[in-house]
Amino acid sequence: MKIKNKAFVRWSIAIIVCCLFSSCYTVRLKNVYGDPEPDPISDRTDYYRMMKVREIDTVITVSVIDKDFAMLLDKCGSSGIHTVEYRNTFGGILLSAVTFGRKRECVLNMYV
Amino acid sequence: MAKTTPYAKSTWDTLHNNGPFPLKTLYVTELAGSAHMFSKYDRYNDAAKEIQRLIREAADKNEGFRAYGSSWSLSHVAHQKDNMHYNGFMSIHILISQELTHENSSYVNKNLFFFECRNTIKRISEVLGSHGKSLKTSGASNGQTIAGCISTGVHGSALNVGSIQDYVVGLNIIIGDKSTDIVYLERHTKPALNDDFAKKINARVIRNDHLFNAALVGLGAFGFIHGVVIEAEDRFLPKRYVKKIKKELAMELADTIDFKNSTFKIDGEVDENDKPLRPYHYKVFINPYTNEDDYVVEVMYKKPYQIPYPDPFPIIKKSLYKDLIYLLIKMSEKYPKAIPWFIKRLQKSILPEVNEETLGTLYETFWDAPYQGPAFACSIAIDHTNSSKAYKVLEEMTQKEGPIPGVFAMRFVKQTDTTLGFTKFPTTCMLEIDEVLWEKSRKIMSLTEYSKRMIEVLQKNNIPFTIHWGKNSDWKFPNLVKIMFGDKVREWKSYRSGLLSTEMQKVFSNGFLEDTDLHTPNVTNEEDLIVSL
Repeated sequence: MKIKNKAFVRWSIAIIVCCLFSSCYTVRLKNVYGDPEPDPISDRTDYYRMMKVREIDTVITVSVIDKDFAMLLDKCGSSGIHTVEYRNTFGGILLSAVTFGRKRECVLNMYV
Repeated sequence: MAKTTPYAKSTWDTLHNNGPFPLKTLYVTELAGSAHMFSKYDRYNDAAKEIQRLIREAADKNEGFRAYGSSWSLSHVAHQKDNMHYNGFMSIHILISQELTHENSSYVNKNLFFFECRNTIKRISEVLGSHGKSLKTSGASNGQTIAGCISTGVHGSALNVGSIQDYVVGLNIIIGDKSTDIVYLERHTKPALNDDFAKKINARVIRNDHLFNAALVGLGAFGFIHGVVIEAEDRFLPKRYVKKIKKELAMELADTIDFKNSTFKIDGEVDENDKPLRPYHYKVFINPYTNEDDYVVEVMYKKPYQIPYPDPFPIIKKSLYKDLIYLLIKMSEKYPKAIPWFIKRLQKSILPEVNEETLGTLYETFWDAPYQGPAFACSIAIDHTNSSKAYKVLEEMTQKEGPIPGVFAMRFVKQTDTTLGFTKFPTTCMLEIDEVLWEKSRKIMSLTEYSKRMIEVLQKNNIPFTIHWGKNSDWKFPNLVKIMFGDKVREWKSYRSGLLSTEMQKVFSNGFLEDTDLHTPNVTNEEDLIVSL
């Protein structure tokens, strides 16, 4: 019995780890043209090193009758967006699942 | 009015994390808005005044002042411990009207463009593209600023073109805070623009080949490069092939650059006698940790611009896999013996895919290189006839005393006229090793130690060499610059001493110049060195 339990726990952990890996990903929509706005003061060490980034970490609410959702971006000025990054997390998927898709966690990085 | 914001900082770092280096103040200058100052020339001149103010401020404090742009240099050439100026918002470009062309100019007016210091290779390419023009060559990517490129000698791999500085035909430099301290330099044998242009930027004209060639690859030591005039050419399409060929053939081509009489032939890339064409670009990739019989090579042939052509951009960016490289190679700091195994496994990701073919503009072919984490690059310049010999001795040293987490590559560049341009050989082979930056441990030597060994090995084997100013090396190696450039060092120093006051030589000096002993003035009796010829 104990051996069966151990195996169950191990398999469960393995499945959760796999879910965590596969559910966390980043998608970047990047303009082929143009230079991004620089940020010489930024100490970031990720993809956006030395770039000006506006991060929006929010939860959006989509009601049952809504077919789409528009997020208004007022931090990007009028010069356009260079890169939009959308990050999905395991937590975000869980939130979406338990609220039947009504709540969606959204992490957007915009580089203008 | 241009506005400068000072930031108190304790450190500064390069894009690729080769620091951190100490710093007191970081200045960021933003130009006057075009709504308030309509004329581009007015905004440009307004910025020049602001830079002169900052230079005076630094001089009064007995401190240094140095401009930087994209921080792409991996050496400490861009660093100054007191005051650094970020040029990121100084990116005006001005088209040159016919009446501003010099009467003796041999350049086609429509090929001349004036760019302020911060314009990146990417931005310049876009501007030129909108006029049906192109740069003649660029580095392997496009994020460097034009001022940074020429100051350090960024080169690319164009066999018949040379480096980026080799198509610069005019230089506007701020050498102090006086009204006569804004100079416009050109070659006297190849003037491009007339004195009316210089008046528009409030500059004193000096047409002198020797001064121009010294200041062009100036390492930031000749003052604040505010703007450059470049010669572009008609837009073209590099047709790119990636092939696997026999090691011996790849090295024979490197040593001879004789494509016409070689057995390396690509369908369609032949002349009327069915002889192979000389390519626009030739690059050899070498993994020093395999015993394979073949090397991967990249060749490009210039094609006339015509649309439509297939979209050369990759659909999916595989950044995730690149992160994996970083992770795995960091592991090799602890287990260096695993480096050859890792590199072999990751070879497909590090090297371009064999039999790949693309057709696109220069802008598209050498596109963005996203930040991939801390990186290093050692880049040695040698005469192409020594390519295989130099590689052999460096490979032996790397295998015996390494391994080092990197792969080698060779690129080939036409000779430069500049005084301290490292592409000084008739056809220069740039032999480079780069990849992920590692830290010294008990099991793996440091990057500086490895760089020092490279120098020693080349010296021991009597292979004349120079080193890329913007790459990693043991820059404190005794007499390194004299070993590399001989009498040219004296000439470079003489023109620097002649152009800059003693006070300004100190202002525009830095640790890199001190390490390489280029900061000391050269006493010269030639009083009329800085004159138009």
